[in-house]
Formats: sequence, structure tokens, C-alpha cells
Amino acid sequence: MTQHSNKHHPIRIDLVALLAAFTLFLSTIEYLIPKPVPFMRIGLANLPLMIALGILAPKEYALLALLKFLGQGLVTGTIFSYVALFSLGSTTASACTMYFLYRIGKRWVGMVGIGIAGAMASNVVQLALSRYILFGPGMWLIAPPFLTVGFVTAVLLGLFAQQFVNRSVWYKSKVAS
Amino acid sequence: MKVLKIGDFVIAILSAVLVSLSFLSYGNLSGNPTVHIKSGANEWIYDIVHDRTVSISGPVGSTVIEIIDSRVHVSHSDCSNKVCVAAGWKDSVGEWIICLPNNVFVLIEGDRTPTPGGIDDTAF
Repeated sequence: MTQHSNKHHPIRIDLVALLAAFTLFLSTIEYLIPKPVPFMRIGLANLPLMIALGILAPKEYALLALLKFLGQGLVTGTIFSYVALFSLGSTTASACTMYFLYRIGKRWVGMVGIGIAGAMASNVVQLALSRYILFGPGMWLIAPPFLTVGFVTAVLLGLFAQQFVNRSVWYKSKVAS
Repeated sequence: MKVLKIGDFVIAILSAVLVSLSFLSYGNLSGNPTVHIKSGANEWIYDIVHDRTVSISGPVGSTVIEIIDSRVHVSHSDCSNKVCVAAGWKDSVGEWIICLPNNVFVLIEGDRTPTPGGIDDTAF
């Protein structure tokens, strides 16, 4: 992880663009899955953010998170609606949570824990925004399905990401570069 | 290489507790269910055992809600994607239907038992 120790390392646009394209593709897949409310996220597009934790510098990671937000807005056609606010809030919360958890506790926490923490942060922010912007106190009734779906998919995505990190030759080459 | 670390289990257990606690928002599941319909600042509460059809006006038109045989569904909506109509029938406490484009929120709550005569047609 030499790139993290070099503060003046230039942003690797090609690598960020590749991961951003991955988020765009996964956002499209997620958009195809029916959901009871449009701002509910399964979290598929979080996978590149999880994989990127070990290979991107802080600026590159922030850029990837921004591109994920913009990509999701473009794919779902919600970039100029209130849904974009939910997307921005949830992406910021999950990206920050996963990034700092990885930086502080990667010896003790793997991709499953990081993924769950990111999903919970994302869902709690979405529920809080919907509580104060849309529906008032009654919105907490949607918390159980929101959190349950987020928890289950985060475990599955975390297991996949951990296997990818452990086995991918491409990932190891990027970490070593 | 290990797939799971000790922190994964800690975070998973804490999150599972959070998810479990969220189910407390369903309130008293044994209570008599009432249908709450919210549109903007208005809220209407209907006894689920009394059949009726309610039409709510919103930003994109009307949302028609039917309560039949202790179940509730959105039978018609002027919104474009009809997610609320596709949600189908709901009959259990804690279930909900949302029409975001028309700003209509239908949920079944169970912690308020109607008095004799029923909480019926209450608007506030």
C-alpha cells in the first residue's frame, strides 16, 4: 500500500474510472430490482467502494464516492430530485464509515464487518432524512425492512468482497503498485 | 487467509441487535389494527374491519385506497410508475404502502384500540 504513504501521489484517473464504471454497472443492476420506495438501496454499488479501500488513496476514494453518487443519480434519473439528497447522504455516510473503520481497525475487522457498518450508517441516514423530510414519525415503521435488507445484503457483499480481496491477482497487483 | 475476523462478529452482533430493536417500532402487535392514511399535514385513521373506499388528492392527482375484508390496498393512482398499486394487499400491523409522487402514506398500526363506535373518519 505504498500509495497511501505518498501524500503527493497523483490521482490515478484510470483506476478510479474503472471502479466508478463498476459502480455505474451495479447501480443499473440494482435499479432493475423492484423496491417499495425509490430511495431504498440494496447496496450492490457499494462493492467497488469496499474493494477500493485497500487500493485507493483518500482523494481517489472520495472521488470514487462522488462518482458513485453521480452515477446512481444518472442511472435512476433522480439526480435533480429529492432522492439525490438521500443518495448523497447515504453514500457519504457509508463511504466515511467504511473508510475510517478500515484505516483504524483493519487488523480486527474484515470486509464483512466493514460492509455491515457501512450499510447500517447508510440506512440510518436514509431513515433520518425520510423522518424529517418526508413522512414524520410514522416513517420508523419502514425501519425493520430497511435495516433487515441492508444487513443481509451487507453480509453477502462483505463475504464476496473478502473473497475477492483474498484471491484476486488484479487486486494484489493494485495493492502492490 | 481468514474470511472473518473478530471485529466482523462484533459488528454483526451489534447490528443484529439494532435490526431487532427496530421491530419495536411496530408497537403492540396484538392491538386492534387501524389504517392510517397520511397526505401532507393531514392524517385519517380508519378501522380496518369496516369496508370502505377512500380517495386522497395529492400533487399528481388522486390515490384511491380500498379497505375490504380487513385488508387494505391502493386500487388506483394517478402517479406514473404505480409502485403503490403493485404493492398489493396489506393486512398485518406494521405493513405499509407509500406513493411518493402523490405524497400518500398508508400504514397499518396496531397499538391504538378503537373505542366502541370506532375511530372512524377522524381527521386532524
